[in-house]
Amino acid sequence: MNVLIIEDEKALASELELFFTKNNYLCEVCFNGSDASEKIAVNLYDFILIDLGLPDYEGLDLLKEARKSNPEAACIILTARAEVYDRITGLDMGADDYLAKPFSLLELQSRMQAITRRKFGLVQQVVDLDGFMVNLTDRTITYQHETINSITKKEFDLLAYLILHKNRTLTRAQLSEHIWGSVVNDDYDSNFIDAHIKNIRKKLNAFAPADWLETVRGLGYRIKLNT
Amino acid sequence: MKLKTKLTLFNTISKLVIVILFVLLLPAIIQNINKNYTDNRLVKQKDKLLQIVHEQGIQTYIEDGQSYGSYLPLKEEYISLDEVAPDYFLDTIQDEKRLVEKDTIDYRILSHTFKAGNKNYLLEIGKSTETIGETTGPLQNIAFKTLLGMILLTILADIIYANYILRPLSLIIKTKLVGNKFPSFTTYKEVKTTTSDFQHLDISIHQMVETIERAFQKEREFISNASHELMTPISILQSKIENMFEQEDIQDEVKVRLLEMQKILNRLKSITKTLLLISQIENDQFLKEDEIPSHMLLQDVYDEISVRLQEKNISYSVNMPQNVVLINVNKFLLFNLFFNLVNNAIKYNKPDGNIAIAGHMHQQKFTISIADTGIGISEDELPFIFNRFKKLKRSLLHDSFGLGLPIVRSIAIFHNIEIKVTSQKGEGSVFNLIIPAKLIKELPT
Repeated sequence: MNVLIIEDEKALASELELFFTKNNYLCEVCFNGSDASEKIAVNLYDFILIDLGLPDYEGLDLLKEARKSNPEAACIILTARAEVYDRITGLDMGADDYLAKPFSLLELQSRMQAITRRKFGLVQQVVDLDGFMVNLTDRTITYQHETINSITKKEFDLLAYLILHKNRTLTRAQLSEHIWGSVVNDDYDSNFIDAHIKNIRKKLNAFAPADWLETVRGLGYRIKLNT
Repeated sequence: MKLKTKLTLFNTISKLVIVILFVLLLPAIIQNINKNYTDNRLVKQKDKLLQIVHEQGIQTYIEDGQSYGSYLPLKEEYISLDEVAPDYFLDTIQDEKRLVEKDTIDYRILSHTFKAGNKNYLLEIGKSTETIGETTGPLQNIAFKTLLGMILLTILADIIYANYILRPLSLIIKTKLVGNKFPSFTTYKEVKTTTSDFQHLDISIHQMVETIERAFQKEREFISNASHELMTPISILQSKIENMFEQEDIQDEVKVRLLEMQKILNRLKSITKTLLLISQIENDQFLKEDEIPSHMLLQDVYDEISVRLQEKNISYSVNMPQNVVLINVNKFLLFNLFFNLVNNAIKYNKPDGNIAIAGHMHQQKFTISIADTGIGISEDELPFIFNRFKKLKRSLLHDSFGLGLPIVRSIAIFHNIEIKVTSQKGEGSVFNLIIPAKLIKELPT
């Protein structure tokens, strides 16, 4: 997968590059709009991450150019200017997603994977976790052909996020950002993730031990998956 | 009461008082004038008679030892001349009664003694006071009616003039103060007037509104800019921490510290995001076009928050009518409003406590009440709970940064929802949200 990162904050651009390179993406980075404009015109990308707050270029113009010369690319707008108006215009102008800074790299990656799934209409994505069949498309879990209905929407979101980032320890902060990201809230230290995990375990253990859902002491949670 | 009404009322009353006073005093005044006039005439008549006596001698009227008397047929005037003792002296004008042919009549009488031919005489000239008083009544009547008419005319003139002169003031009140939300963010339109006081008032109000508007705008810009400027470095830090966390050569011990950094960064992020949200709400950046049944909105909140109830074993009951739909609202914002209120109800509740949510229609308004059995808010803290960063005693015990209720308030103001809070320290709090008729659609049940 080719990713073009257009971001004038060099420190952030290099972190994005580091993250995506590690996750086996091919990255190119532009620190300004005119360079990006050239690259968009010449090369083809799978993903274009556009920062709206570029000093020399209107980010939304880049989006237009990208839509023209890279119609296959998925464009994600990244911005610290989280004005509601920008979001609407961005999505209206054909951006595939919109992420307000600050965002979690894992969140960005999961959005990109979601776009890939949407775009290429992958066949049913089913993950086998020691007999628990998690269908990420239909959002169901079955064990030996029996559907586990007691799992709530939130709990499934949590599981799916852990599966998406399998074999990687996710911190409570990362998980709550994914689950409660849109809620503007007075708490800065909510450990309700633990309660959710406890509930998920209880519901799954009624069928079979779910040892693949690991607690990483002092750090967070991880789903171990041998593929 | 309006200034115009007050002025008119004052004018009318003051004029009426003066007129009534005048009319009441009128008899006394007329009487006084009449008396003076009568006395004057009596003196003149006396002088004329004395002159006749002086020129033609006393014999014209009176023989030796006789007396003279004469009166008009209706006895309204009389004259008498008598000889009196040589040392008798009198020179007065006073009211007295006289018996004239069996009739006792009130007279104004001039008595005067004079000498003629070594003899002393007493002259009396009388004028009936009845004739004097007769004019008073009609005069009073006429005066009262005339004055009343004049007063009505002046009051009418007063009203018309007051109306004319106060029109700029009513215009200022109508266009600049009433109906306009203060501060009103409309362009300045001069109120035409030649009265300098009103010009001054108009300009002053305009300047004040402008100052407030500028202050508002400045605060918004500041919050917005500050949030944006803060978001970028936070974003960089967050990415760096996340990338470091992934690094294989980093020991768990370091990872725990990275986690703590992440937590602190999250706190900073939450505060900044919340401030930005408040500034966006106050800047009218959100649309109000959503429609959602009220019970479904609360169900969404419950789905999101139910996990938090478990920890304290709090029982949660919702009693909402199924037919009330909220219209012209922003779903995202209302969700956050209820999330924060319910979250507080959980956070400040006692273990095994209770939260009761109920909705009911009352006089076309829809009230949703959220009652908890928590620690409550003391009376002296109650007025400040909606202030930004106001750390109350209760929130210090919890991980909260004092922006939950300010968000609630901003969202409520944005939707014209009124919030009423009652609380009993140690017993719990009730937050009542009164939703105006404009935001409600009732479905037939």
